Amino acid sequence: MSAAEPPTRWRSVLPHLTEPLPPDHTPQAAAGGNGVQVNLPMELVRQSVQRKEFWDIPAEVVDAYRAFRPTPLWRARGFERAVGARVPVYVKYEGGNISGSHKLNTALAQAYYYARAGVKELVSGTGAGQWGTALAAACAMFGMKCTIFMVGTSLRRKPYRGTLMRTLGATVHASPSGLTEVARQADAGVNSLSLAIGEAVEYAARTDGAAFCIGSGETYSILHQSVIGLEAAGQLAALDAEFDAVVGCVGAGSNFGGIALPFFAAAAEAGTEPPLLVAAESSTTPKLTRGTYAYDRTDATGTGPMEAMYTIGSSYPIPDSHSAGLRFHGAAKVISAMRHRDEIAATAVGQVEALDAGRIFTRGEMVLPAPESGHALAAAARLAGAGAEGNSAKGNSEVLRAEKGVVVCVSGHGYLDLGAYQQLMDGELSDEAPDPGALRLAMGDLDRVERLAEVGAGAGHVR
Amino acid sequence: MLTGLDRAAVTESVKRVVIAESRLSLQPSDIADHEPLSGEMLRVNSLGFVGMLVLLEDELDIVLPDDLFVGRSFHTVQDLIEVVLAGAEVSR
Repeated sequence: MSAAEPPTRWRSVLPHLTEPLPPDHTPQAAAGGNGVQVNLPMELVRQSVQRKEFWDIPAEVVDAYRAFRPTPLWRARGFERAVGARVPVYVKYEGGNISGSHKLNTALAQAYYYARAGVKELVSGTGAGQWGTALAAACAMFGMKCTIFMVGTSLRRKPYRGTLMRTLGATVHASPSGLTEVARQADAGVNSLSLAIGEAVEYAARTDGAAFCIGSGETYSILHQSVIGLEAAGQLAALDAEFDAVVGCVGAGSNFGGIALPFFAAAAEAGTEPPLLVAAESSTTPKLTRGTYAYDRTDATGTGPMEAMYTIGSSYPIPDSHSAGLRFHGAAKVISAMRHRDEIAATAVGQVEALDAGRIFTRGEMVLPAPESGHALAAAARLAGAGAEGNSAKGNSEVLRAEKGVVVCVSGHGYLDLGAYQQLMDGELSDEAPDPGALRLAMGDLDRVERLAEVGAGAGHVR
Repeated sequence: MLTGLDRAAVTESVKRVVIAESRLSLQPSDIADHEPLSGEMLRVNSLGFVGMLVLLEDELDIVLPDDLFVGRSFHTVQDLIEVVLAGAEVSR
C-alpha cells in the first residue's frame, strides 16, 4: 500500500491465537421444528472461522474506502502537554467520514457482501447511533434498504443521529418500539442495546428480503477494522515513531480490535514482543475488568448463539450514560479469549474522566472526539502521564504504563454529542459504577468457560 | 474437486458435521436423511448451519455461492445434502 492508498487486504489475528476460540453453544430458544435459515453471507462466515491471515478486500469496498482512507495519524503534542505526558502520544483518527466513526469500515464491507448475496434490506440495532449511521451510509452506497432500531434514550438525547440516518435513506425506530414481540415482553430494566439488537433480529427474521447484521463484536467486523491498525503501522513507521502501548475503546471490541490486533499479529509473525494492548472500557459496563468469562447471550431474543465472552451478564440493567456505544454487556469472543490469556490488558474509565479527556483533546488538537473515544484518550493519558496508576490490569494488581510512546485510536467525532460536553462543563455529570450485588446476580447463572477449546477444534462456532 | 457422482460422500460429510454441531456421539449411518435439522435428535441453529457450510466447503473442496442460501429455509438433513450438491455443481 502507498501512503495515499488504503490497504487492499485485511489481516486476521486468528492464525496467531495460541488456542482456537471456544465453540459457540446453541441456545435453547433456537431449538424447534421450524427449520434453519441462512442470512449471513458465506464470505463473512469464512472470515469468522478460517485461520487465514490475509483477506483481499473487494475492489468495490477499496473504492469506497478511498473516500475517507487512509485516515490521519499524528503526534498529539498539544494533548501531551495538557496531560503532562512523559512519552509521545500518537493519535489515529477515524471520525472523518460521513458516519463520523470507524464503524463505516465494516458497514461498507458487510453491505457489499449482503448485496452480493441477494439481500435487499439490512436491519440492525444501534446504541449511540454510530453503527446505525454507518450502516445507513453503506446501504445507500450499495443500493439497499436500511432499518435501524436505536436505543430510545440515546435517540432522544441525540435526535440529529436519527436525522442523519434518515437523510441517508434509513428508517429509524426508537427502541423499545411497538413493532416487536421481544420489546413487548421486555422487562423495564432490560439491557437497552441488547434489546435494540433483539428487535432488529426479530424484525429482520419476519421481513422478506431482509437480513440482520451487526457492527462490532463479530469476528468478521474486527477483521474489517484491521485497516485501522494496518494503516497506523505504516504511518508510525514513516514517522520513525517509538511506542510500546496501543489503546482503543471497547464496546464489544471492534475499534480496539481494529487498532490493536494488527500489531499483535505483526509481532507474532516477527517473533517479537507485541506492544501493551490496552482496552479502555466504560466503568458502567466493566466486562473486561469486573466481568466473568462465560457463555452469554448476544441479544435480548436469545435466539443467536451463546458465545464465550467476558460479560457482566446480559440481564444486567446497564445504567444510562453518554457513552452509549460502550454500553454492551459483553466483549467480542476474540477480544475475550485474548483477555483470558492476558494477551491484552484492560482498564475502566468513567464518563466524567472520559469527557474531560475529550475536552482536553479538543483544546489541544482542535478535534472533537466522541465520548466513547474519550475513554481511550483518558487511558492513553494515564499510560503516558504521571498518573499511570489509574490504569490497572486485573484486580488493580498491575499498573499499566508506557515507557516509549502510546498509540491511541480516536474512534469517532463528537459533534452529535455536544450535549454531553455541555453537561460536563455545567458540572451535571456523574459516574454510576455497577453495584457488586447486581453484578453477581446477573452473572450468577452463567455457564463459565473453564478453558479454551481443544486444539484443532476450529476457530469458531463449529467443530 | 467434487464430481457429480459423489452423493454418498456428500451425504456422509453432511451427516458428520450435523452430528458434531449437535454435539452427539453417533455415526453418520445413525442419521436418517429425513431427520429434522432442528428437532429432537439434531440441534442446529442458523448460525451453526452456516458454520457447517464452511466446514463442508473445506472437506469437499468446493465454494458454495451465497445466492444459493439467502431467503431459504432448511428443514432436514436431506435439504442440506441437496443444497451442497447444488452448490458443488455451481462451483465446478
